[in-house]
Amino acid sequence: MDCSLNPSEFGAGISRRQLLRTSAIGFGNLALAAMLGQEASAANPLAVRATHFPPRAKRVIFLFMKGGPSHLDTFDYKPQLQKDDGKTLPFDKPRVQFAPTGNLLASPWRFRKYGQSGIEVSDLFPHVAECVDDLCILNSVHGTNAAHGGALLKLHTGSDTFVRPSMGAWVTYGLGTENDNLPGFITICPTLAHGGVNNWGSAFLPAFCQGVPLGVASKPSSEAQVKYIQSSHWSRDAQRMQLDMLAKVNRDHLAATGPNSALEARIDSFELAFRMQSEVPEIQNIADETAATMRLYGLDEPITEDFGRQCLMARRFAERGVRFIQVTHSDTNVQWDQHGNLREGHAKNALEVDRPIAGLLRDLKQRGLLEDTLVMWGGEFGRTPVAQGKDGRDHNPEGFTMWMAGAGVKAGFKYGATDEYGYYAVENKMHIHDLHATLLHLMGMDHLRLTHRYAGRDFRLTDVAGHVHADILA
Amino acid sequence: MKTVNLTPCGDPTVPAFPHRHTFLLSVVIALITPLSGFADDQRQTQLRFFETKVRPLLVEHCHECHGPDLQESDLRLDTTEGILQGGASGPAVVSGEPDQSLLLVALSYREDDLKMPPTGKLEDDEIADIRRWIERGAALPEVEGGVKPRRGAIDMEQARQFWSFQPPHKAALPSVQNIAWPQTSLDYFVLSLLESKHLAPAAAADRRTLIRRVTFDLIGLPPTPVEVEAFLADSSPLAFARVVDRLLTSTHYGERWGRHWLDVARYADSNGLDENIAHGNAWRYRDYVIASFNADKPFDEFVTEQLAGDLLPAEREAERHEHLVATGFLSLGPKVLAEGDEKKMEVDIIDEQIDTIGRAFMGLTLGCARCHDHKFDPIRADDYYALAGVFKSTRTMESFKRIAKWNENSIATVEQCGEKAEFDRKITEHKAAIQQATEAANAELKSQLGTATLPKDAESQYSQESKDKLKQLRDELTALEAALPELPTAMGVVDAEPTNTQVHIRGSHLSLGKQVQRGVPEVIAFDGQPAIGEQQSGRLQLAHWLTRPEHPLTSRVIVNRMWRWHFGRGLVGSTDNFGNLGDRPVNQPLLDFLAIRLMESGWSLKDLHREIVLSSTYQMCSSNNDVAVGLDPENHWQWRANLRRIEAEAVRDSILSVSGLLDTEMGGSMLHVGNRAFLFDHTSKDETTYDTTRRSIYLPVIRNHLFDVFSLFDSTDASVPTGDRATSTIAPQALFLMNSDFLARTSQALAERLVKEVPSDERARVTRLYTLAFGRPPSDAETEQALTFVAAAAGDRTSPQTGWEALCHVMLVSSEFLHLQ
Repeated sequence: MDCSLNPSEFGAGISRRQLLRTSAIGFGNLALAAMLGQEASAANPLAVRATHFPPRAKRVIFLFMKGGPSHLDTFDYKPQLQKDDGKTLPFDKPRVQFAPTGNLLASPWRFRKYGQSGIEVSDLFPHVAECVDDLCILNSVHGTNAAHGGALLKLHTGSDTFVRPSMGAWVTYGLGTENDNLPGFITICPTLAHGGVNNWGSAFLPAFCQGVPLGVASKPSSEAQVKYIQSSHWSRDAQRMQLDMLAKVNRDHLAATGPNSALEARIDSFELAFRMQSEVPEIQNIADETAATMRLYGLDEPITEDFGRQCLMARRFAERGVRFIQVTHSDTNVQWDQHGNLREGHAKNALEVDRPIAGLLRDLKQRGLLEDTLVMWGGEFGRTPVAQGKDGRDHNPEGFTMWMAGAGVKAGFKYGATDEYGYYAVENKMHIHDLHATLLHLMGMDHLRLTHRYAGRDFRLTDVAGHVHADILA
Repeated sequence: MKTVNLTPCGDPTVPAFPHRHTFLLSVVIALITPLSGFADDQRQTQLRFFETKVRPLLVEHCHECHGPDLQESDLRLDTTEGILQGGASGPAVVSGEPDQSLLLVALSYREDDLKMPPTGKLEDDEIADIRRWIERGAALPEVEGGVKPRRGAIDMEQARQFWSFQPPHKAALPSVQNIAWPQTSLDYFVLSLLESKHLAPAAAADRRTLIRRVTFDLIGLPPTPVEVEAFLADSSPLAFARVVDRLLTSTHYGERWGRHWLDVARYADSNGLDENIAHGNAWRYRDYVIASFNADKPFDEFVTEQLAGDLLPAEREAERHEHLVATGFLSLGPKVLAEGDEKKMEVDIIDEQIDTIGRAFMGLTLGCARCHDHKFDPIRADDYYALAGVFKSTRTMESFKRIAKWNENSIATVEQCGEKAEFDRKITEHKAAIQQATEAANAELKSQLGTATLPKDAESQYSQESKDKLKQLRDELTALEAALPELPTAMGVVDAEPTNTQVHIRGSHLSLGKQVQRGVPEVIAFDGQPAIGEQQSGRLQLAHWLTRPEHPLTSRVIVNRMWRWHFGRGLVGSTDNFGNLGDRPVNQPLLDFLAIRLMESGWSLKDLHREIVLSSTYQMCSSNNDVAVGLDPENHWQWRANLRRIEAEAVRDSILSVSGLLDTEMGGSMLHVGNRAFLFDHTSKDETTYDTTRRSIYLPVIRNHLFDVFSLFDSTDASVPTGDRATSTIAPQALFLMNSDFLARTSQALAERLVKEVPSDERARVTRLYTLAFGRPPSDAETEQALTFVAAAAGDRTSPQTGWEALCHVMLVSSEFLHLQ
């Protein structure tokens, strides 16, 4: 059936269905689609349902660089820009700009060719550059919003105008999770600004689709916790006793009211919570990793320790079947937002993430996880080729770079291009909607068919736009 | 009617006109209606222009995707009909209006998402030719019989036949077999439907269940043991009506039902979206809503005040202020406050207002008509922009400059203004006095030093007397400035300069089409558009139109909402969508009866509550019936009461209430940051705090970061009107209930309360716990079970209360406590 992934198409006629739409026992372990679509035939209702077509990626790790890293100083080498430093931009700037800018500003970093592919990467990312033959670099991404808030929302939800479900929520909605004891979507150290929760929210999708935050950007990742994961009041044994009592009380109540699947689900949800309570901290506890692994992620140095820990936790969640894991690089500033102080700021930012990201890619590869894990890297926009002040670049949503690596995408591959100065995407332009469409495609879902009926309309992650860029598929 | 094919290689059965062979033009001309004289000549010229300049471009650049083989977006540009009727986005060409013509919008490459041809922009002179052709009338070969109206064009007469666009119809009470069952009029409608399905209603609920149900339902709190006992002891047939009267006159009633309305009003204390800054004065609107419900303000007035309070006459200052506060309804929506394109920000804010009034009052998704005629409902883009004119003529924003500011209206009293003016006067006086004293001291110093210029640190050389005087004056000024009263303001709107808007082609402010008059959607305009004066925004007319008795939606939508909030599901399941894609009413005669009854009662919501809760329908028990479950598993026909989990606010309030911690103070702001201050900025520091035991309705609603209890237990995210909250069961709820400090604290308080109230008799203490939490005494088995648990849970802890705390915790998170039968 070609609409197999559209749970909302299965009418509201049966209360169990309606119940499931809103009350998965836990975070989505039911693989909602499976419950709704294959209810009659499914021998095992918990089985993950077949996708629209065979998926190339089973899970995503999104490395989000908050603030807008400069593509011109990292992965989009522009020889003409280097030549024309200080000259006037020979074409119009965008109609809407964030801040006033001046003339062209060459990149202060040297670019070198790496790997068999010979792709140029700047000196900001020497370690990631060593993995360039695994990267699929998208040089022609573009969005619509030049302010952080709008751009974050656009990137994460596809809309900078309305509150819409985030991409991780859509993925969870479509695929459920592979681990009964864990959420389908985890976001590690997310930023609370510029859309905040909306960037991992489920909006009108069922609540179990929403991302579960682990910590916040303003606190070190070593302190990151899922909220309420532990009681500071009761010991584990005392809680076990309470839960047993609670189960008795609730079953008595259920017996008195008659069969009711919501009440049954509620009883189960306490047991799941109790299991999660031990499973999540166990995943977070990286003490059982080898020293070599710790080093790989940069946990041996203070500058890379924080982001390295985030990346390592991401791998551990990926191993245990979480569908969508977002890792945010942001501190109490808007990390990659160098309106001024580009040299120092970008150098520091890159230093913090370069080793951890390369470590993650290598580690996933050596464990065979890169084959079915898609890693995606990028910010909410890029930066302008023209200078803001003497040593700064403004926001630039007109053309910027993201990259993917792993499951289903070409490796050692550059796709699309910006103009000769890197201001506008011009070749194989990839709008944020296209990025979403392609991401869903890689996970086995047709973005046109992954819909949810809400307030009388079928909504999609890609709204009324988006197309899959098949040229990047391996 | 035949399609005239414009391609050179079209279907051979229809006349084709290879454009490159101009001699065939004569065929074209022969086919068209003969024209005469000047007009004829002109048309000939224009047609020739089309053939020689325009069509070649279409053939070369467009026909591959919009021609005989492919019609992307349902558009073909190889036939006259195709060009005039257009595709999915509307007509490709509007004769004489190049800027309204989608074809030219696409060719001009000015819209990011509509740039044609995709391979590259045409040359400027080519685009100029097409512009010229459209300007001069867009001549096209004529089609025999004329061109049919555009596909999808709305037939208003037919559209008005749709059930929800017909005024409510008042039916006589249906006849029923079981004449003993109905208690209020609505019961006849419910029973009649059930009987037609050969079903009987469930038995009446017992009194404990009933008082628990109605108390939660009307005030959002559990009944106290005293209230339960009083009801059980009252043998009068009016006992239940007395309970209902008590609850409806309780101020807690407005806190409960006002909260329902706040869901519809997408009420929030912060903006959310991109720049999450505080709605520092939104609480005034919240308090207005609570007070309006408590006062049983007629619903039509309530609607009018929220849409146009600033335009209403007011006899008293307080009334005037109340009206201004009410318009906060229009201002509360989430806004992209850092949008760099200020024009876009303005139209986005207007869009949010239109969408909100559509859903909130009419159950219509008007927002869909922003980019094109509504695909499912008879709402045209013209209707949308008629409303947009009303809101463009309304001042919602003070400034669109990043970070934009919403408008606030002064609600200062005469006294407050007087007090402020007095302060201002004193401050001015003090400044003048300081100036004067300084000058005097300077003069004194100059004469003392015998110089014409002042030394650098003149003041240090002043005489002690001058220094003292200056210090005194400055200290007084500082004190005055510190004490300067801030005049109260409220989020809300006033009229701006009245203006009509142009249709925004594809919803974009960069592609403006024809201008439309301010007005209301044509399909429900009854006997014509309301008269909106040139100097008026039209908001007042909009409100009056909405509350006219023949308006088919306003009354139905609100009674349906009330039904939903009482029973858990609306008679129309899709409470916010009464359009084509919404649900059809389960029992339309009942819906219409209630709608008309509401209006006949002078739009009294409390009257409607009585009709509902005093009915047999409301008072049924929730017991099962296998036959009924088979026929109507979701209980749409109302054959029993639904078992429901209580809402987020009630979860928290009930736990606080039972544990004895609830603070019942009403009203006021609980925000701890100033107006327009960031709740969340780039630092990602969490500035929210919910450390209070006030009722949940007073806790700040922070968009993008709702209080955990709200987000976990399905409160709304306050982004759009919500009349039908979901009820989810997810493990994080259990985590919260097991591990939060809130539950630890309240369990402890409840245990303390129990020990204090029942110091020695442990069995009696269990009974007290059950009556407090569940409104019933425990069975013997339950008592035994509880006591065994308390003993075990106490373990070797030193405090004897530990076991009781553990038991209280279990009770407060149990299904029975958090569900209503």
